[in-house]
Amino acid sequence: MVKKHSVDNLAIFGGPRLFSTPKSTSNLPRPRFEQFAQYSKLFFEQHHYTNNGPVVRLLEQRLAAFHQAAFCIAFCSGFWAIALAVSVLARKGRTEVIMPSLTYRRMADIAAWVRLKPHFCEVEPDTLAMSARTAKPCINENTALIVGVHPIVNCLDVEGLVELATEENVPLLFDSVESAYESASAGKTGGFGNAEAFSLHASKFLNGFEGGYVTTNDADLARQLSLMRGFGFSGADNIAVAGGMNAKLNEVHAAMALACLDDVDEQVARNRQRYHTYKRLLADIPGVRLLEFDERHRTAYKNIVVELLDDWPMGRADTLRVLNADNILARAYYSPALHRKAMTYGHVPADLPMTDKLAERFMNLPCGQRVDVEDIANIVDMLKFVSANAMQIGARLRAKRMP
Amino acid sequence: MSSVAFALFGGKPAFDKPLPVGQLYFPSWERYEAAFRGIFGRGWYTNQGPLTQQLEQRLQQFLGVKHAICVSNATIGLMMLPDAMGLTGKVILPSFTFAAAAQALSWAGLTPIFCDVDLNTHQIDVERIGTLIDEDVSAIMGVNLWGGACDLAELGALADSNGLQLYFDSAHAFGCAVGGVRLGGFGRAEVFSFHATKVLSATEGGCICTNDDELAARLRNIRSSYGAGEPVTVVKTANGRMSEAQAAVALMSLDDYPDNQTNNKTLHDLYAAQLDAVPGLRLVKPSGVSFSNYQYVVCRVDEREYGLSRDMLIELLKAENVIARRYFYPGVHRCIPYVEELPTYQNRLTSTDELSATCIQFPIGALVSPEAVERVCSILRRAHLASSEIRSRREK
Repeated sequence: MVKKHSVDNLAIFGGPRLFSTPKSTSNLPRPRFEQFAQYSKLFFEQHHYTNNGPVVRLLEQRLAAFHQAAFCIAFCSGFWAIALAVSVLARKGRTEVIMPSLTYRRMADIAAWVRLKPHFCEVEPDTLAMSARTAKPCINENTALIVGVHPIVNCLDVEGLVELATEENVPLLFDSVESAYESASAGKTGGFGNAEAFSLHASKFLNGFEGGYVTTNDADLARQLSLMRGFGFSGADNIAVAGGMNAKLNEVHAAMALACLDDVDEQVARNRQRYHTYKRLLADIPGVRLLEFDERHRTAYKNIVVELLDDWPMGRADTLRVLNADNILARAYYSPALHRKAMTYGHVPADLPMTDKLAERFMNLPCGQRVDVEDIANIVDMLKFVSANAMQIGARLRAKRMP
Repeated sequence: MSSVAFALFGGKPAFDKPLPVGQLYFPSWERYEAAFRGIFGRGWYTNQGPLTQQLEQRLQQFLGVKHAICVSNATIGLMMLPDAMGLTGKVILPSFTFAAAAQALSWAGLTPIFCDVDLNTHQIDVERIGTLIDEDVSAIMGVNLWGGACDLAELGALADSNGLQLYFDSAHAFGCAVGGVRLGGFGRAEVFSFHATKVLSATEGGCICTNDDELAARLRNIRSSYGAGEPVTVVKTANGRMSEAQAAVALMSLDDYPDNQTNNKTLHDLYAAQLDAVPGLRLVKPSGVSFSNYQYVVCRVDEREYGLSRDMLIELLKAENVIARRYFYPGVHRCIPYVEELPTYQNRLTSTDELSATCIQFPIGALVSPEAVERVCSILRRAHLASSEIRSRREK
């Protein structure tokens, strides 16, 4: 750890890095090895390494109970979980899927994989979430599906979106990838809309190396998804549904996810401590606003998002450059927004001024397993240092950019 | 010989536990535990970690290819390739194959055109491809079946002369060689499967091999931003990543490849010797290769000579806890959704239909001992000798 005393000390200007190992925004929870080993023994002893083995089945039971949903279907990733759920739920003959633009960078590509056009909607400035108000103008005779994406801090208005989808008779899939532990005012995520999709990527709340799952109370949907992830096979030789692929979760990944699931309360306690440390320390820095968790509801306190206000004395891109050089791997929050990216596939062109504005203002700060309270103090000190020396740093950066 | 002894008629099953067809090789618990303690120690779980990087390097070396791009599974690899290769319209592939090959084309928005196979080798019948080529066809997907290979030279010449791209589903062919050259570098790309049932296992997994730098760059950019190298423009991305867990298992499996291949060959040879004199059972030798992984034991059942149909034999074996499989059954052209176009294929795929009706796959791999092979073959011999009695009892 090398604290900054002068601008020359910043890594971007050749100083030693503040952190010798990168501090990232990935959760990377590490469960107890013994738990992982114990679950691994289940498949090991049965020589059943994939194809809906004992550990995947156990994981699905545990996750269904965790989300208070009737069914859980595990997949090789959140990406393919969403893709398959979208392909099944989309109303046949219709062409558009409504989604926010300020979201996961591959979300529009998922629509393209299932040959639907992304129709991007606005988000609310106070929550960064899409809402019934922002989704409604996008509904038309081509709407096949709404993907209700929870933002990474707090939940969107579940009840509002469910009501809209019901009124308009449009299927609704929640992307709850960042909200596995959360409750909204409507209740625990997992049981809303037609289905909800989650991720087991190492950077998410539950680390299954790679993986994803869908929860639903719809038995037909569950059956169809369960078949489609395994080429559509129902029985040894019979393909029962079209549109299948291999999206199976293997047993090792399931063992990891189960071990993490055993550890959620401890993880949330650790995250809570990180969040409150950030909250306490960031209060002293003008120009930085922490996006606060709504503690009236259950939350994992996982993601740390700050807004750089008008009185923050440096642009976000430069701020990130300076932080990243010192191994603080802060990231721009969903920037560029999806509607601003080049797309050669079909999409509905969108004019989203609020999204454009918001996409410039927020950043994610390091969090998760490998960030402790001392690291957070150092990260916040670094922000203070940048703020206090912004003029000088800015001048040096400009000079550096000169040919 | 009496049929009473068969488990189908109340006898004691030959095996206490089901004997599966898949390879199912896996490292010892001690090696597994050590590898995963390493991953826990590093805290690097996915996103092109050190084990995945190491696996790709070792695969490149082992297969003699410039790029081995590890993926979540072989199907996702086959789904990623059409965009990366710029394929359009239709792609010709055999129908006597695993459905994933055609499904990958459907996911890529392409139309599969099913070609018949050679009745002896089971590989795509190159001579029949010509009549299927029209202006909408952009590529041929060869499938290297049963630890053997298609006629690579003929296929290459045909693709070249028609201006078509050529690539391979080599899910069955890891480690196999043609004229001493390992598969992996033929056509524009080859896709291998590292599913648990294959000779190289990552539990789930696969890799795409190519010697084409630009194609490799596009594939890496489609797979994930991690390990993508230089950013290049692609139509759409996917999640095609292989995790460190998968790579750890695959690396150990690659260490074990020589032993596992040898074990397979021993068992395959044993089947060949034991079944040689059984009328109506013809073992399919891996065709077109100078070296095989012997990961499948495939036989054709001639009902007239053997005395039992393939399906009746499967039923009889199942009762003995020998989980033999009809593979591939039915041909992909007879599966949903392609069956809707069946009139197109009705008379075109006679060899595929014939093989689908007569092929049987027997157990080989980690859970199969030479003694087990002898016991399976003994059942097969006894079933032949008692075939008329078995038939009449089943008919009752």
